[in-house]
Amino acid sequence: MLGIVEQGLILGLMSIGVFISFRIVNMADLTVDGTFALGGALCVRLFSLGLNAPVSLLLSLLAGAGAGILTGFLHRKLKINVLLAGILVMTMLYSINLRIMNGPNLPIPKTSVSASLGTFEQVAGKDPLADLFEPSAPAAAPQKEIAKHRTFENIFLGTADGQDLLLLSAIVLICVALTGLFLRTELGTALRGFGTNPSGLESFGLPKTLMTLLGLGLANAFVSLSGGIFALYSGFADVTMGQGMIVTGLAVVMLGEILFVRRKLVYGIFAPILGGIVYQGILAVVMRYGYRIGFRASDMKLLTALFIVAVIGFGLIQTKKRMKGKFRLSTIFGGGVGRD
Amino acid sequence: MIKLSDVSVVYRKGEENEKCALKNATLQISQGDFVIIVGPNGAGKSTLMKVLLCELAPTVGTYYLNGKSMRGFSVTQVARWVGRVFQDPNSGIFPDLSILENLSIASKKGVRWLRFRSCPQKAVSLLSLLGLGLEKNLNTRAGDLSGGQKQALAMIMAIISDPKVLLLDEHTASLDPKSSVKVMELTRQINEQFGITVVMITHNMPFAEQYGNRKWKIEEGEVYEYEYRPPVCLTRSENPFPLVGDQRRCAPKCV
Ligand SMILES: Nc1ncnc2c1ncn2[C@@H]1O[C@H](COP(=O)(O)OP(=O)(O)OP(=O)(O)O)[C@@H](O)[C@H]1O
Ligand SMILES: [Mg+2]
Repeated sequence: MLGIVEQGLILGLMSIGVFISFRIVNMADLTVDGTFALGGALCVRLFSLGLNAPVSLLLSLLAGAGAGILTGFLHRKLKINVLLAGILVMTMLYSINLRIMNGPNLPIPKTSVSASLGTFEQVAGKDPLADLFEPSAPAAAPQKEIAKHRTFENIFLGTADGQDLLLLSAIVLICVALTGLFLRTELGTALRGFGTNPSGLESFGLPKTLMTLLGLGLANAFVSLSGGIFALYSGFADVTMGQGMIVTGLAVVMLGEILFVRRKLVYGIFAPILGGIVYQGILAVVMRYGYRIGFRASDMKLLTALFIVAVIGFGLIQTKKRMKGKFRLSTIFGGGVGRD
Repeated sequence: MIKLSDVSVVYRKGEENEKCALKNATLQISQGDFVIIVGPNGAGKSTLMKVLLCELAPTVGTYYLNGKSMRGFSVTQVARWVGRVFQDPNSGIFPDLSILENLSIASKKGVRWLRFRSCPQKAVSLLSLLGLGLEKNLNTRAGDLSGGQKQALAMIMAIISDPKVLLLDEHTASLDPKSSVKVMELTRQINEQFGITVVMITHNMPFAEQYGNRKWKIEEGEVYEYEYRPPVCLTRSENPFPLVGDQRRCAPKCV
């Protein structure tokens, strides 16, 4: 059960990145898939090279920021459409990640990697509800070995189960607090302004390029950090671990917004965290009972994408009914994608 | 303070549908002037604005601001001296931010760092000068204001960082008559009380009559002046320049 919250926090951290690019700077940045894996790959590689976990995480965070900055650069300086720029960098990162790991995946030393590597859902969905339903199961239940190698504990803390949660919550809270503080500064306010009116900001002497680099760098830093944490948490990095992460992240952001439309806590960056936990809960339930209708872990992406379509469709119907739209559709796709 | 010497702008140069939007414009605007620009659609008014904003480099000729050639300057660099408000009420403000946040962004020019945002008292007192009651609800989302309020806010935002010139491209066009009068009065105040030079494009003939000390007409890319009075505000001006050329048409040749 704790696993859900833990993985939800990791997912939420990643979704803050998606939130920043899609909602705050208003750009459909697809680099995310690549940066999540980059964070994981680099973190595990650095860790196995002997660096300690915090430093490895910090360096992979910086690498992620670099990837975001590259996307921004391609978009602003070479005038490549944001979507394409993101896909280009994501594709580059695929090769780079393989190089970093020297193979399609890389386990953390001294942890045995079982057969089931793969995307976030396939790993994180490994029945974290088991401890709730099978309390009689031995402490080191087999599913835990796959979903979680307890590397985290070994690295940071002692042994008890709640400590992972504590540590993850602390990391997430610090991230949220720092971002919240940043968004209060002059630069952060300008970044938020940039999202709704990039040219308007230019007339106050702030170049679009700078703000784009800042926004996408920040967003991908979060994604990469989350990828690194996830890799340490699950005990390995895999080149496919970021696959479809952008869709998952967007679904989490929307889920968070549905749950917290009224209050914009910390400029809204709190919503993805709660969205992440809820998403993870849904994932766990689907994984546990879905097999009865022939559901597989790999179907989760389909479900997630359909969820996004449904949310957008529902929002459209709402606006058509002249009700006050809950979701700012224009910022998801209407205005976000095509706009420069 | 603004000088265009022999500026022409050609869109799609070298292509088949090449369009000469501004022809050999030689103009001077001095400090404190309130210039009104009128002319039919497609005459090249907005093109002239874009040149003044450095959004568009002149195809030939040079644009001088404060005696400096602006060739190679970017919009963001020129923003230090130039404020602007355009037709679309959402283009001058940041709709998702509160009024206070809008003002705090506008109160500074250029790159900023990690200082916590503040809103200068001057901005708020300017806002209360408007009499629209905006200063009472500083936490209102700017996007929720009415068009006229947005335009007024945009004007305040454009001037609180103390620009030398304010460029207005049909800034009253999307407002109802009452709001436009309010915004025009604000424009006049900005010009007369703060001594900020104003260049304004309008299709509203009564406004063109009533306001401004210099009137320009643009037709097919040719600019000429049809009325000149000395500027009202002379406090900050250095001896206003004489007429650019009364009723003088620029030579209708294009590059
Ligand atoms: N980006 C562009 N590419 C090609 N031609 C352009 C471009 N922008 C403007 N033009 C042409 O230049 C001419 C002048 O345009 P401009 O926008 O300056 O007109 P305007 O005087 O502002 O008109 P309006 O009163 O409708 O705003 C028009 O004929 C227009 O077709
Ligand atoms: Mg125009």
